Amino acid sequence: MTGPARLPRLAVWAVAAVVGVVCVPVVAVLLAAVRPDGSWGTDALERVLTSSRTWRLVAVTVGQAVLSCLLTLVVGVPAAFVLYRFRFRGRAALLVAVTVPFVLPTVVVGAAVAAVLGPGGLVDARGTWFAVLAAHLAFNLAVVVRTVGVAFRGVPVSLTSSARVLGLRPSAAFRRAVLPAVAPAVGAASVVVFLYCLTSFGVLLVLGGGRVSTVEVEIWVRATRQFDVSGAAVLSVLQLLAVVGALAVYGRVAASARGARGSGTDPSRRPRGAGERLLVASTALSVLVVAVLPVGALFVRSFQLGTVWSADNWLQLGSVVAGTALSVPPLQAVWYSLVSSSLAAGVAVLLGVAAARGVAHRSGGASDRLLLLPLGVSATTVGLGMLLAVGRPPVDLRASWWVVPLVQAVVALPLVVRVVAPAIRSVPPSLLDAAAVMGRSARARWWEVELPAVRPAVASGAGLALVACLGEFGATAFVVRSDRPTVPVLVARLLGRPGAAGYGQAMALSCVLVVVCAAVLALVDRAGRGSGRSATVL
Amino acid sequence: MRNTTKRLLLATAVVAVVAATAGCGGSGSGDDQGGNQSTGAAGTKEVVLVTYDAYALPEGAAAAFKEQTGATIKVVAAGDSGAMLSKALLSAGSPEGDVLFGVDNLSAPTALKKDLLAPYSPPSLASVPERFRLRGAAGKRLVPVDAGDVCVNVDAKWFADKGVAPPTSLEDLTLPQYKDLLVIESPVTSSPGLALLAGTVGRYGEDDAFDGFWTRLKANGVRVRPSWDDAYFTDYTVSGGDRPLVLSYATSPPAEVVLSEGARTEPQSTVLVDSCAAQVEYAGVLRGAPHPELARQLVAFMLSPAWQADLPLSNYVLPVVDGVTLPAEFQKWAVRAPSPMSAPTEQVADRRDEWVERWRNLFE
Repeated sequence: MTGPARLPRLAVWAVAAVVGVVCVPVVAVLLAAVRPDGSWGTDALERVLTSSRTWRLVAVTVGQAVLSCLLTLVVGVPAAFVLYRFRFRGRAALLVAVTVPFVLPTVVVGAAVAAVLGPGGLVDARGTWFAVLAAHLAFNLAVVVRTVGVAFRGVPVSLTSSARVLGLRPSAAFRRAVLPAVAPAVGAASVVVFLYCLTSFGVLLVLGGGRVSTVEVEIWVRATRQFDVSGAAVLSVLQLLAVVGALAVYGRVAASARGARGSGTDPSRRPRGAGERLLVASTALSVLVVAVLPVGALFVRSFQLGTVWSADNWLQLGSVVAGTALSVPPLQAVWYSLVSSSLAAGVAVLLGVAAARGVAHRSGGASDRLLLLPLGVSATTVGLGMLLAVGRPPVDLRASWWVVPLVQAVVALPLVVRVVAPAIRSVPPSLLDAAAVMGRSARARWWEVELPAVRPAVASGAGLALVACLGEFGATAFVVRSDRPTVPVLVARLLGRPGAAGYGQAMALSCVLVVVCAAVLALVDRAGRGSGRSATVL
Repeated sequence: MRNTTKRLLLATAVVAVVAATAGCGGSGSGDDQGGNQSTGAAGTKEVVLVTYDAYALPEGAAAAFKEQTGATIKVVAAGDSGAMLSKALLSAGSPEGDVLFGVDNLSAPTALKKDLLAPYSPPSLASVPERFRLRGAAGKRLVPVDAGDVCVNVDAKWFADKGVAPPTSLEDLTLPQYKDLLVIESPVTSSPGLALLAGTVGRYGEDDAFDGFWTRLKANGVRVRPSWDDAYFTDYTVSGGDRPLVLSYATSPPAEVVLSEGARTEPQSTVLVDSCAAQVEYAGVLRGAPHPELARQLVAFMLSPAWQADLPLSNYVLPVVDGVTLPAEFQKWAVRAPSPMSAPTEQVADRRDEWVERWRNLFE
C-alpha cells in the first residue's frame, strides 16, 4: 500500500536537486581538467600525470593515510575493547572525550595540536608528519573506538566461555574467537579513517607549514598560489578516483560488518586482576593524551601571549591586531560564520529531508550512492568545482556573499540525508498501513506519521549540518572573500603567520568555535535524545 | 505531535530567512563589509587597494590622497603575493577591490591573463625611467611604483663573532663553509623567491641554473620558507633565528635601523651585492572595479612625489621616480646593485611556470 511507487513528486524533485547540486562541482572540475583553456586538450593531463612529483605526492598521500590509519587502530582497538567490555568509573566521560575532537572542525583540531606541538609547546613539530599524524589520530580515534567498540560489545560472552571450555587459554580464546568477530568492524573503521586522512586538508594546511604536503594541499597550492586551475583539476580527478575506489571497498566491508551482529545484552563487567586494571589505566591515559590534552592546551594557550600570561588574545577579538594582517576583526568573522552556517544548514535540512524521503525507500540505488559521494569527495574538489561553476557567465556569483553558504550547504546536504533516510526507513510499515486504512492521504501520512517519527533524526541532522558548516574549511577557502571571512579561514590564516599575536588570537578564536560547536551539539543531544547516531554518520 | 514537527521545519525556514536578511543587512549597513558593491552608503568615498599581507599603506601619502580626492584607501590583503595574484585572477572581472598593487616584473605576464586589468597609463608615467617600465600590453596596464632589489642579507655580526669570512658572491653560498646557513623563500608562493630563481636563470642559463646552482645550493642545506615574513622574522639570526644568511631586500639594512626605533644606530646586516636580483612592483586598475575613476586617481597618485617619498619608510623600497629625496638611513645604507640579475622579459612570460615546476621537482 505504501510502496515506492507512491513517492510524492516533491521528494523526487528534491532528490534530483540534491544529485544535481552535488554533481555541479564534480562536473566543473572534470571539465576544467580536459578543457584547460576552454577547448578540449590533454595538455593539463600530460603535464600533471607525467610529472614525477605528482606520483611522489600520490605515494606520500596514500602512505600517510595508511600510517594514520594503523596508528589509530593501534590506539583505538584496545581502547574500544576496554571502553565497551569493562565497567568502571569515568567510562562515560572517556567515551565523550574520545568523541570531542571528531566533532570539532579540522582546523581547530590542527590548532589544538599546534597548541601542544607548536611554538612555545612541548616541541615545535609543525611542518613535520609527526604533528599531522597526531592530529589525524586525535580526530579519527572516535571512528575506531565507536565502530569497533560496538562490535566488541556484540560478541557474546558465551562465545569466549565456550572457547575456554574447549580448552583454549584466555589469550588464544580472544585471538581465535573475539578478534575474528570484530574484524569486519575494524575493516570498516579503517576504510573510513583512511578516507578522512586521504582527503585531510585543514589539518595539513595548519600543521604542514608548506613543508609537508599531500595531493589535497597540492590542489589548493596549484589553484590558489600558482593559478594553475587545470593542473589542480587533474589532481582533483585523481583524488576523486581514489575516493570512489575507497568507497567501493567500504561498501563491501560495511556490508559484512553489518552482518555480524551479536546479542543485545551488555557483556561489560568490572576489570579483574592487575593486568586488566593496567589495561584500563593505560586506555584512560592514551585517551587523555590523544584527545583531551590538545583541546585543553588550546584553552590554556589562548591565555598566553608569547611567553607571558595575558587575556589580550580574548580582549582584542573585537579589533584587528597589528601584525596579523587581517581584513576584519575576528569577532566579525564569528558573526559571518554564524549567519552563513545557519543559512546553509537551513537549506540543507529543508532539501535534505525531502531528498531523504525520496531515497529512503530505494536504498542501494544510484541516487543513494551519488548522495554518498560528497561525504568522500574532498572539500577542495567541491570548493574548486563550485568556484569554477559559479564564476563564469551567465551566472557570476563570485562577488555575492551567499556563495559561501551555498557551498557549505552542498557539503552539509549529504550529511542530513545520511542521518534522516535510515530513520524514515525504520518507520514501521504497519503504522503507515494503519494510517492508510484510516483513509489518510500520502501527504497526510508524511506529516502526521512519518515526520513526527523521525523528528529526532531531523534534529540531529540539522545540528550536524550546522556544526559541519561552522567548521567547513576546504571548500569555503576557495570561494570566501577577504572582506567576509569565516572563523576557520581566519584561524588558518592567523596560524600561517609568524608572531605571537596571530598565534594567540588563533587559539582564542579556536576556543570560540569549540564552545559554539559544543553548544549546538548539546542542543541537538537534548532535542534528538534516543536517535544516538550523531557520531556514526558514515 | 504533528504541530511540533511542523514547527521544527518552520523554525528552520525562519532561521534561514532571518540569517539571509541579517546577511544582507550586514553587507549594506555595517562598516563597509560590502565595499565592492558601491560607494559607501554613508556617503564616505572609499577606494579598495588589493595587495599582499606584508604591505604597509604609506599613511602620510594616503592622507594626502584623501585631501585631494576625498576618498579613503582601504587595504584588502589576500595572503602572500602569489596568493594575491591567483585570487585576483580567480575573481577576474568581479574583483575584490579597485586597484591591484604588488604585481612584480616576474608575475607581470601572469597578471595579463584573463583580462584582469583595465588599460590605464597615468600622464606622470613619463617621469619614470625607461628601465622600470614594461613594454607592450603589460606597459599599458601596469604602472611601476617602486623598486626593491632582492638580495641575500648577511648577518655581519654573526660572521664576525664566529670568525668566519662572510660570502662575497652568489656562488659562495654553495661552499661547504656556508652549509646550513641560508634561508630563502619559496618561488611558488613568494615574490623574492621567484625573483632570485629568475635571476639565476638569467645568469647561469636554464639548465645550468637547475642542474648546477640550485642542485648545489640544495645540497648545501638551504632552508626554504613559504614567505618572506617567515624567513626574515623566524629564521634570520638578526631576528633571533638560527640562519645568518637570508634572502631579503637591498633595503633591509636601513629598514633594520628604522625599525629598531633608535636601539640601533647602524645595521647589523650587510647586502651580498652579487646576489641581487631585480624586482620592480607595479599597480594597475582592476577590470570591473566598483570605483574605476578613484582607482585611476590612486594609481596616478602612486607616482606623485608625496607617495614616492613615503615608500622607503613605509615599505622599505626605493622610489622609481627620479629626484625623490631619500631618508638619511637609506642614503647611507640602501644598496642599488649596479647590474642586478634578471631574466629576459620574453623568457619570463614563456618559461616562468616551467622554471617553478623544475624548481619544485628539485626541492619538494
